[in-house]
Order: sequence, then structure tokens, then C-alpha cells
Amino acid sequence: MNKKIMFMLAVIIAIFLVMGSASAGIFDFLGGDSNTVEPGSELTIAASPTHGGEPEAGFDPLTGWATENGAEPLIQSRILKKDTEGKLINDLASDYKVSDDLKTVDVTLRDDVKFTDNTTLTAKDIEFTYNKAKENAVIDLSSMKEVKATDDTHVQFTLEKPDSTFVHKLAQIGIVPADSYNNETYGTNPIGSGPYKLVQWDKGQQAIFEVNENYYGDMPHYEKITDLFMDSDAAFRAGKAGEADVIEIDPQYANETIEGMHTVIYPSVDMRGFYLPVTPETGETSEMGSPIGNNVTSDIAIRQALSVGINRQEILDNAFNGLGNLSVSGIGAELPWAQDETIENGDLDKAKEILADGGWKDIDNDGILEKDGKTASFIMSYRAGNLPSEAMALQISEQAKEMGINITPSGKSTDQMMASINTDPMIWAYGSTDPYSIYCMYDSEMAHVAFNNPGSYNNSAVDDMINKAMSEDLESSYDSWSQVPKLAEDDVPWIWVGSIDYVFFVSDDVDFSEDTHTIYPHGGDVWGNVCDWKPVK
Amino acid sequence: MADKSKDVSSIYSPIAKMNLRTKTLLTIGLTVFILVAVVITSLFINSADITTNFNAMNQAPSFEHLFGTDWMGRDMFTRTMKGLGLSVQIGAGASILSSVIAIILAFVGSINSKLDSFIAWLVDLFLSVPHILLIILISIGLGGGAFGVTMGVALTHWTSLTRILRAEIKQINTSEFVKLSQRFGKSKIWIAKKHILPLVITQIIVGTILIFPHAIMHEASVTFLGFGLSPHEPAIGIILSESMKYLATGNWWLALFPGLALLIIVLLFDIAGENIKKLLDPTSANE
Repeated sequence: MNKKIMFMLAVIIAIFLVMGSASAGIFDFLGGDSNTVEPGSELTIAASPTHGGEPEAGFDPLTGWATENGAEPLIQSRILKKDTEGKLINDLASDYKVSDDLKTVDVTLRDDVKFTDNTTLTAKDIEFTYNKAKENAVIDLSSMKEVKATDDTHVQFTLEKPDSTFVHKLAQIGIVPADSYNNETYGTNPIGSGPYKLVQWDKGQQAIFEVNENYYGDMPHYEKITDLFMDSDAAFRAGKAGEADVIEIDPQYANETIEGMHTVIYPSVDMRGFYLPVTPETGETSEMGSPIGNNVTSDIAIRQALSVGINRQEILDNAFNGLGNLSVSGIGAELPWAQDETIENGDLDKAKEILADGGWKDIDNDGILEKDGKTASFIMSYRAGNLPSEAMALQISEQAKEMGINITPSGKSTDQMMASINTDPMIWAYGSTDPYSIYCMYDSEMAHVAFNNPGSYNNSAVDDMINKAMSEDLESSYDSWSQVPKLAEDDVPWIWVGSIDYVFFVSDDVDFSEDTHTIYPHGGDVWGNVCDWKPVK
Repeated sequence: MADKSKDVSSIYSPIAKMNLRTKTLLTIGLTVFILVAVVITSLFINSADITTNFNAMNQAPSFEHLFGTDWMGRDMFTRTMKGLGLSVQIGAGASILSSVIAIILAFVGSINSKLDSFIAWLVDLFLSVPHILLIILISIGLGGGAFGVTMGVALTHWTSLTRILRAEIKQINTSEFVKLSQRFGKSKIWIAKKHILPLVITQIIVGTILIFPHAIMHEASVTFLGFGLSPHEPAIGIILSESMKYLATGNWWLALFPGLALLIIVLLFDIAGENIKKLLDPTSANE
């Protein structure tokens, strides 16, 4: 009797299994290779450091969701987006045109875009979003004079002055609906036109996204994505426990193995380095409340010696587990304005020579140099809790000691760092696919303005080159942009170590579409190719 | 039979031959010796000399690295010792300061009843706010760093000792000999010096020592939560919070040894405190 029941059960299960695989096969056949949503497919991801983290103020581009360095906003869509080589391509736009004097940008929109609430996305929404974005200063739109919707599908941007980089701003903010936008509720209840929509947000834990049926582009494959907000170590544990299909981790974990997962490593243009204030203490304070200038780093010999004497390879090997690419210029190798560079590494003798020529001597024989009553000693801030930055600060400190420079590492919170940003050098992370960032870091106009040009660098030849780049058309401006770090090289306002790699563990059941990932800026861009991810059969 | 053999061995054991007083003294001597040794060792370790060595990162305990190494190849034994030294120093600073505050407040309270109720109110106020919160607030208010943490811990641990002293002093004040001295016209200060202080000195000494374990634990918790010191500096709390990140990759030694060391230090203070109490207050030895 029992045996009979067991047999029946086995037969029923077998029938279901055969039917199941057959139907999956049919779906395959119907779907082919073009993008279709696979019913019931789910993905769990824990990638907080790569723009998969929890936005403090909600999923609202007007409070900063995915505006940093032009990452994919997932829920909203942008006028333009970037391809795998960093070139601007159409997203909401069907065409755009920059005037010859670089002072107006005309955008034509596609007319088939609907928000998740079934209203149509029009030029009015773009006008509204960009005006609000300028008001809230979520991205730097200081060169934008006016944005105007001429009709439902045409928008015109007018600029204060020629700005060749302005088109990049069109890829930096997701468009919100003008009619229903409410700054108090939008963050938790976003309405957008991106490939996914937010269905649930458990604050501090996770967000759940489902496919947006109204999406106008190539549909994604996964029907549902659960985004876990976890630190690197928690993500690693979740991966080990099989609770996440994709995790992003600190480079320190890259040598570990997780059963059923493989490692995916993406290069990035996320550059690590530090700046050295070039002016002596002025007695003034910046708007952020930090004193300006540093009496030790303002000595050119100190800056040049550090630039020559720092062993970049050693820092990369130790602080970033060897995962990255060395750079002296601070321009990521994948960027259109990158140039070949030769890396000279850790020339300690030359560094000592520069210091001796600069008048630095060890008078009291304590291993640390002195000059005119000053000791070659300063503080280097790093973000407390960021392990690679901490390791980097310690490495730099140890290497500098061999040159006779005493660098004291100091882990700080963001508030503490802001209070000393213009006087104490700091471990810096930057990486943007918008050359405007070079203006922010090197131009004297931006000296100690918020987080820009924190070392108060001022060189008119550099400023002129930046102005030239700003007033050329985008393609030819890249060459001018690449000249800027070179012109500043001898003054050493920045010392770059190299760009870091982003490390993922990906489940063997997931096709992460590694060939189509976008260029990873600072903070990564994990959603950049989300529509290409699919389950492995 | 079994009992007899036990007796025989105990007769020949040198410890068993000692009387309780000698045993107590020996225990105190040993614990104090270990604690002093920890502090002195830590003073000889310069934080700047705990350098990274990435060729030797995440190594399990060995004879070269007794407590293993961390993710930057730093020797965990050296870091732990430096951290413990810091803990004991902070503990010392905090308990001495706490005792001074407690003594002053307790004596001030005995002057008149209004001051007394004010001090009782102050004690209740400080006790009603969670310790750890107050410590964090005070140490941030004082600019963080080792100084901020010490002051934070010091300014929050005087309450229990103040309560004890206040009660003792109240009791002594009602005794016959104090009343007699008062009628003889002796000043309040004279009474405090000659009558009260000799009777509460035991409580003060034992109380001070017993604040140590609390102070050390609180210092560890505050640094564990990331307040006060930079993440690369060796404090027990920092070491422990960092170790959590590496437990998933199997680096058990990062948490086990520093944690055990902290536990032992705290226990040693407790043992020393209890034994000193026995010595100074023989009636409690029979409890």
C-alpha cells in the first residue's frame, strides 16, 4: 500500500519536472536572445559601496539619489547615459545638439516614455527637474542659466558661459514627474521611468525593486531585485550563507573563496591619492570652518620629495590587495582623456636629495627633518571605518618616515575631516567620467570651496588650460583636459597612487554580463548594466 | 581513605601552610605585579613602532606572533599589550578622579541637609542616564581622543562610591562619639578628619579599586563603538571591533586573545579589590 503511494508520488513529481523543464524551454524559444523579463526570476544583491547603498534621503534624485558621478538611478531615467566606453548616448533623448558657441544645448526627447503612474514624460518634467536640481545644488549646475521646455518633446538649456562639459550633466540626474513631485513623499514613494520601480523599502535593511512594465528601453531579465544594505563584511557573510547572489566587497576579501560563487573584478577610474596644501597657514578659515594652509606641506621640497619617494606599487599591493592600476596623473586609464604614463616608483635617494637641497636637515638626530625651526611633521586624515584608506594612510606614513618626514595618520568622521580639510592633507578618493571634475580639483576659482581644490592650488597656466578646455567642443577638449595634471605636476598639489578595482562575488547561477558594465566612477555604478543581468540556465 | 590522602598532600603544600592573611597578601602581590608589568610593558611600546608588514598578514598564532597578526600584518600581541596598557591607564585616571569627586561630594553633603539633598539629586541624575551615553557625550564634548575618553569615564563613575560614602558618613554622624565631640565644641573639619575619615578610608580604597574594572570595560565599549580614538590606534575596543570584520574569514585569533586578555585584566582587578577588602576590613573576610 505504502509502496504504491510512494510510486504514484514519484510519478507525479517526475511529470511535473518534465513539464517544468519543457515549459522553460518554450519560454527560451519564444524569448530568444532579445531581452524579456523571466517570470519569477529574482536576484538578491548586497553592493552598498557601489551605489547599491541606502540613500539617506530616499530614492529622490533631487536629494542626491544616484547623482554622484552619473550613476544609473535604476528607478528614474536620464536624458543621456554612458556606454561601456564612457561615451554619451541617448536615454530619454532621441537627439541633442550643442551650439557652436557652446552656450546652448537643444535636446529632443522620445515621445513614448511613461512614468510608473502612467503619465507621459514630457519636456516640462525635464525643465522642472533641472530647475529643482540647481535650486537644491545636488549637482553643480552653476553654468546653467536657464532650462526651457519649448514644446512637449523639446528642451533648451542656455548657459552663462561656454561649458563644453555641460552635456555630461545631462547624464547625472534622473527625471522626476513635475506634476506629482512632492519633496516630502517622493523619496519613499518614487515615480520614475527607469527599468525598475521601488515596491518596498525596509529602512536600514533592504529595498525591493520590481520590473517597470512601462519601461521604454530593452527590458531587464530579472523580475525582482532585492537590494540588501550591508557593510562589506556583512555582505561577505551573506554571500557565504547563500543569502545573496551578488555581493560587493573590500579588496581585502578578494582572495577568499565562496562555494557556488565566482569573483568578478572590474577596473575603475576611482582614483586614490592625497593632496598637500600649497599655501602656508593664512590665518583664514574656509566656509567649511577649516583653517587654510599648512606650513610644512607648503614647502615645495616636501611635496616633491613625497611625490618622488612614495612607492605606489607597495601601497597598491598592501592597501588594495594589488587590485588596481597605478597612476601619477590621477586620470583613470579608461577615460577618453587618459594618456599613457610611465610610473616611477619609490626613488628614496632622489627624495632625500630634494629635501636636502630644499634646506631640510635632521638637526636633533631624531630621524625627522627640520628647517628654520619647523619640523617636517603633519597630520594625514583618513575616513574612519574605511579599511583601504586606513591602510593607505599607514603605508604613506611609514614610507615618509624613511625620508625623514613624520606623517601622523588620524582617522576622522566626515564632520571632523571637514573641520581640517584645508590644513591637514587627507586620503582622497575621486573618479568621475565628467572632465568637469578636473576643474573642481585644480582651478584656483575652486580653491577651498566646499570639497573642491582643498589644497588651495593656484597656477594661472593651469587655469588658462582649463578655460581653453571649457571653450572647445567636447571631443577636442579631452586633449586639453589631459594637459592639466601635467602642467601642475611640478607643483605637486596632488599625489596620486592609482585607481582601485571593484570586487564582486557573483553566484554561478547569475550571468552578470561582465562585458557590458559601464566605466566605474568613484562609488561604482552597479546598476549600469542591470538590464543585461540574467539567470544562467 | 580518599580524605586522608587529600589531607596528607595539603599538609605538605606550601600554600596550605600559609594562614589566610599571608594568602591574601600573596594574591594581592601577584595581581598587582601582573597589572604593573602590563602597564610598564605597554609604556615601552611606541604606537608608531607597531608597523604594518603585509608579507605577514592574517597569520595564525605562532611563536613569532603569539597572538597572530591582523589584516595589515601587525603583531597582535604588541597591539594587545599596548591596548591593555592604555585601558589600565585610563582605568587608573578614571578611578582616582572618580574617587576624588566622590570624597568631595560625600563630605560636602555632610555639611547641611540642603547640600545633602542636592548631592543625592545629582547622583540620581547621573544614574538615570545610561552610562555609555554619558561617556560618549562627555568624550565628544571634550574633543575626543584618549583625554576625552578618560574624562568621560572619570566623570561618570563617581556615583556609586558617593552613595556608599554618603550613607557611611550619615551613620557615623549619628554616633555617640561624634555627638560628644560636637558638644566639646570641635569643628566640623576636626570631626571629619579625626572621626569620619579613619572609618571610611577602607571604603575609599576598596571603592577606588573596584571602579577599575567598570572603567576599563566602559573604555573598551566606547572605543568599540568607534568613539574617541582613531581606528589604527591600539585600544582593546578598537581591536575587538576590527576583529569582527575578519571572523567571517576564519581569523578567530583576532577576537579571542585580546578579548581573553581584557577579561583577565578585569578579573585581576576584581580579585585584588576583594582581597584588599579582606585585609583592610577583617570582618568581611568571614562573609
